[in-house]
Amino acid sequence: MDIAVYGIVNSISLALVALGFALVYGISRLPNFAHGALYVTAGFLVWSFLRALALNYVLSIVISVLITGIIGSLIYRAILIRIRGMAISEIVASYAIGLAIIEAFRFWGFKGMTYTLPSFTKKTIVIGDVPVDGHRVLVVVLGVLVMGSLWAFTHYTKMGLALRGMAQDERAAMMLGIDSDFVALFAMGLGSALAGISAVLLLPLGNIVVEKGYDVLIQALAVCIVGGLGSWAGAIMGAFIIGFAQIIATAYLGAKFQMVVSLLAILFVLILKPSGLFGRQKELEERV
Amino acid sequence: MKKILVVFCVSFLILGLWVSGSYAQKPIVLGLPLSTAYLYGWTAEKGVRLAVEEINQKGGVKVGNETRPFSVEVIDTRDLEPGVPVSEALMAVEKLILEKKADFILGGPVRSEAALAAMPLLSKYKKVSILSTGVLSPKYHETVAQEYDKYKYCFRIHGEAKHLVKEILMGFEELRQKYGLTKVFVMVQDVAHARAAGEIISKLAKEKGFDVKGMEVFPTGTTDFSMGLMGVKRSGAEIMNIWMDMPESAILLKQWYELKIKALPFGSTLAAAEQPGFWKATEGKGEFTLCNVVNAGNAPSEATPWTMKFYDSYTKRFGIEPEGLGASSSYMAVYVLKDAIERAGSLDSDKVVEALEKTDMEGVYGRLRFDPKSHQVIPAFEPKEGAVGSILQWQAGKRVVVFPKSIAKGEILLPAWMKEK
Repeated sequence: MDIAVYGIVNSISLALVALGFALVYGISRLPNFAHGALYVTAGFLVWSFLRALALNYVLSIVISVLITGIIGSLIYRAILIRIRGMAISEIVASYAIGLAIIEAFRFWGFKGMTYTLPSFTKKTIVIGDVPVDGHRVLVVVLGVLVMGSLWAFTHYTKMGLALRGMAQDERAAMMLGIDSDFVALFAMGLGSALAGISAVLLLPLGNIVVEKGYDVLIQALAVCIVGGLGSWAGAIMGAFIIGFAQIIATAYLGAKFQMVVSLLAILFVLILKPSGLFGRQKELEERV
Repeated sequence: MKKILVVFCVSFLILGLWVSGSYAQKPIVLGLPLSTAYLYGWTAEKGVRLAVEEINQKGGVKVGNETRPFSVEVIDTRDLEPGVPVSEALMAVEKLILEKKADFILGGPVRSEAALAAMPLLSKYKKVSILSTGVLSPKYHETVAQEYDKYKYCFRIHGEAKHLVKEILMGFEELRQKYGLTKVFVMVQDVAHARAAGEIISKLAKEKGFDVKGMEVFPTGTTDFSMGLMGVKRSGAEIMNIWMDMPESAILLKQWYELKIKALPFGSTLAAAEQPGFWKATEGKGEFTLCNVVNAGNAPSEATPWTMKFYDSYTKRFGIEPEGLGASSSYMAVYVLKDAIERAGSLDSDKVVEALEKTDMEGVYGRLRFDPKSHQVIPAFEPKEGAVGSILQWQAGKRVVVFPKSIAKGEILLPAWMKEK
């Protein structure tokens, strides 16, 4: 029972972390390597509004997620738009931006273990015979809600349909009058806001440290590689595979094997299906 | 003509004063290779700066017939950061020696692997180094003892792992006698020093008659300890020994509280719990956590008359209490060096080494003496006999020193849910 409960918690957490990265790549084929830095940015923004400016917690969260989205859009508008389509340049530039953001936080003195956000609830809930802290249960509920909202947005709104149109075929979308630069800008903003949402949901479980930016990027990459780069459904599936694999490995082999299992999952998927479970990189698959 | 003469004389006078001033005030440069983004790095820097400010305010260091101030040069080694190679720390040490012209190296490198790798470098440049933070590996002083002539420039003024283990086992013994706790579960971070310490603790605890229920190794960066904690619960363990310096250990302690695990967390190098901000960071969920801060003075106690004097000065100067390992020892490293330089009457490395070996002074955490063969500060459980450690427990938002008994300010307490049958 505890494997099922904590497997779901772990999987939803991973899915939240990876969703923004998968969305940006799926729509504009842009690997946003600043994803982890934006995650950390959102955390420090909430902390600053909450502790330094003494704003209301919910208000701090909303403002921070919006600002993170705007920062993402600005990164795209100011830098990434100029190199769009040049894969290596996109990786190098976005990684450099992420590095600059993370190091800037360190330079400004955001170091140490005492930057924390309050939990949404202090209750402990017992599911079956397994005790789970209330915040983790809320992460699952809100995570499912975020995913559901994203699905509804991309299926029932004009902008959402434009996002899907561009994800399917950018040239065809442009022929139908969709402004690809604007949609890519919007996607980057939305992806960054999703990084922000995952940060405000997950960071109250621990503390905000700059190094988290690197960990989050690695987790997002792992999930997307397994699920298939560019596929949102794949990202969720990948999160569940890695999430459950980590928990099962911890239960039966020991906690130290949880990272090994993630890497093995990537390795197996790359051998058996190089484009990932739901990947759209058919060219790569064909070449292999 | 008269004007030119006046200008010339005044300029000459200013130049003369400047030149003589710079000669009289030539500082003794202390090079600090520290991982400044981490607790053990920044506390060490603060400790050194506080001591340097106090010494300079009183006139400086007497070197033979002249008095010279200390100056501090810090380079961030980043050696505590995951994935940063040891070579970064070595470059920092070399840069401090060659570019910053450091006369002495204090503080770090902070990670054991980096400090061990820096030893040949210190030997090559004959630079006296006093380690005062982070490095706990016994291999450091054992290496000095094995090849004394080569590594005689290396000293360590804070506690090391073997003594820490001894202190922890004495803590276990107290828990057995007071509360009847005998079942231990060891939880360590997947880094060399923690794995080794976990194995030693498990072995020694078994020898002392404790029932060691298991040892779990967690990868650095683990953010969910639920499954590990469920394992502890199932095993029936009563003491949870933790060796983790990663920030995520705060999550472990929060989850321990939320899941009401009936095993008392007892940590070493548990950086998250050492800091005064831990209470707020865990929303009070870390209450009852026991934590070894290695030396007295890193938590409030009255080990010597100097302990609270240091504690209060640090708090006043930096607006925060001494935060953990590295604070009191780095502060004392400067005073011990000052004392040795004054007795040697010179900055010559060999003479300072000789003087350091004869160090015998009362410091913030007891009597400070170095073992003449291994250059490790001599530990003790009584401040009058040697350098004493400190184990604290979080009680009602405060860090209460509970061990050693000679300096304890309170007793070890158990959470309410551990008292329930």
